[in-house]
Amino acid sequence: MNPFKPKKDRRLGVAEGKRQYDLPLNKSIGTGFLVVLIALMTFLAIMALGTSFALGSMTQRWSSGLENKATIEVPAEKNDSDLRTKNEVNALVERVEQKLSDQPYIKSVTALDQGDIQALIEPWLGQGEILDNIPLPGLLSVELQISNESSLAKLTKTLAEIDETIRLDTHESWLGDLLRLTGALQFAAGFVLLIIGFTTVAAVAGAIRTRMAVHNEEVELLHLMGAGDGYITRQLQRHALMIGLKGSLVGLIAGLIVLGLIALIAGDTGAALLPDFHIQLGHIIGMIIVPTLICIIASMAARFTVLRVLAQMP
Amino acid sequence: MIKFEHVGLRYGVGPEVLTDIDFTLEPGSFHFLTGPSGSGKTSLMTLMYLGRKPTRGLVTMFGQNINQMERDKLATLRQRIGVVFQDFRLLNHLSAFDNVALPLRIAGRPEKEIKDNVDELLEWVGLGEHKNVLPLTMSGGQQQRVAIARAVIARPKLLLADEPTGNLDDEIGFRLMNLFDQLNRMGTTIVIATHNQKIMDEFGHSRLVLDSGTLKIEAPKNWIQKKIEGVF
Repeated sequence: MNPFKPKKDRRLGVAEGKRQYDLPLNKSIGTGFLVVLIALMTFLAIMALGTSFALGSMTQRWSSGLENKATIEVPAEKNDSDLRTKNEVNALVERVEQKLSDQPYIKSVTALDQGDIQALIEPWLGQGEILDNIPLPGLLSVELQISNESSLAKLTKTLAEIDETIRLDTHESWLGDLLRLTGALQFAAGFVLLIIGFTTVAAVAGAIRTRMAVHNEEVELLHLMGAGDGYITRQLQRHALMIGLKGSLVGLIAGLIVLGLIALIAGDTGAALLPDFHIQLGHIIGMIIVPTLICIIASMAARFTVLRVLAQMP
Repeated sequence: MIKFEHVGLRYGVGPEVLTDIDFTLEPGSFHFLTGPSGSGKTSLMTLMYLGRKPTRGLVTMFGQNINQMERDKLATLRQRIGVVFQDFRLLNHLSAFDNVALPLRIAGRPEKEIKDNVDELLEWVGLGEHKNVLPLTMSGGQQQRVAIARAVIARPKLLLADEPTGNLDDEIGFRLMNLFDQLNRMGTTIVIATHNQKIMDEFGHSRLVLDSGTLKIEAPKNWIQKKIEGVF
């Protein structure tokens, strides 16, 4: 390359490089704005999708973690006024463990030791002597072969035979509430994705209509020279595709960076109820589909808009 | 080639700008379209290059009734028509080369063929050195030559030119008329809308004379004279 030769686009009135479109789309006002808009839409879609994935993981963890499981509580109080001693509680826990180990509908039964129970209430009461002095219940974790009404009824009956104060917690009530809540949040995330899709269609269709109005003379000229609808449509469709590609890639990268930072900062929360925020390979693949969808949406929105406008020409 | 039968045209709810137009143009013929300003020349040209459909009457182009033609077929038909617009209608963001290449690209010709043909034609119209120049930096005459080159590059079967010599000096004007004559001899039907009496007299072709929206066909005034000169 001759360094002394001036670049083509530096010379006044000379065409710059290779022509891309017959229509002056590269210099259209608002192209940058549309790229930014699509980038923001993609970013929001990635955030919504990330939230949905995190909620999905949380739901799956809760559901699978508590599947067929129940907790048996041997209360610290005998009745309204009397408390059990630690030895009494331990003796009852031992009896329940022995009795349930022989039952065919029980897969496993594990008694939580004093340390485990203290660890559970430590976040509320703190460490120290208080934990040694307050009456603590006995807890057993039971896994049933199959969690159905029949086996739960047998379990309830067996526990009542040992002591009527022993309580059975199948987690169903609060787990159901939590699953309903996460389901509602996932639905909201899906709805946000839907709105993003519609917004993208509206934005691209509006932008293409504006371009066609601004470049009406050029479009009409191509039409009069014998350019078919397909020829003109392809140019605007490609233009919309390029805008969609640029915007959605920027949005994807920004979204992945933010999710990566969240994963880095939040990572393993350690809290029993909160989800551990990890981005898995499947999630990344799911998110990469977003720009592809945005590009398809932008391209198709442009196509149908152009065809509708062209249909008004003779 | 072109047949108009009882054709009328009005814009919106306004009065008819063309009334009961009847004429037939044979393939390979050459005609001047003339008449006073506002007589409807541009409207008639618009109907001929299929920019509008008539509000009444029957238009037959290349043996096909355009009133009942599908969009795709109309587009194919338009590719057989070359048009030089009065205001050139060049695409200002494209170079002279790309403007002239447009009809070939629309027709889907290979790039090699496009380059060879466009380079040759631009040389012929004296714009070989200006092929990468944008229209807005060209003079009116240069722009007009680009517009004419664009109209003829695909060797149309019908060439319509609206005041094609308006911005040109006599020498280039006559040179371009000779180009149109050459195209006509190769079989292209040509209709040129013009006020230029000198050119109409020099090139003795029949005249379509429009006046207040109605059309009459006149034989060239010096036609017999030219025939005699041709014989002797």
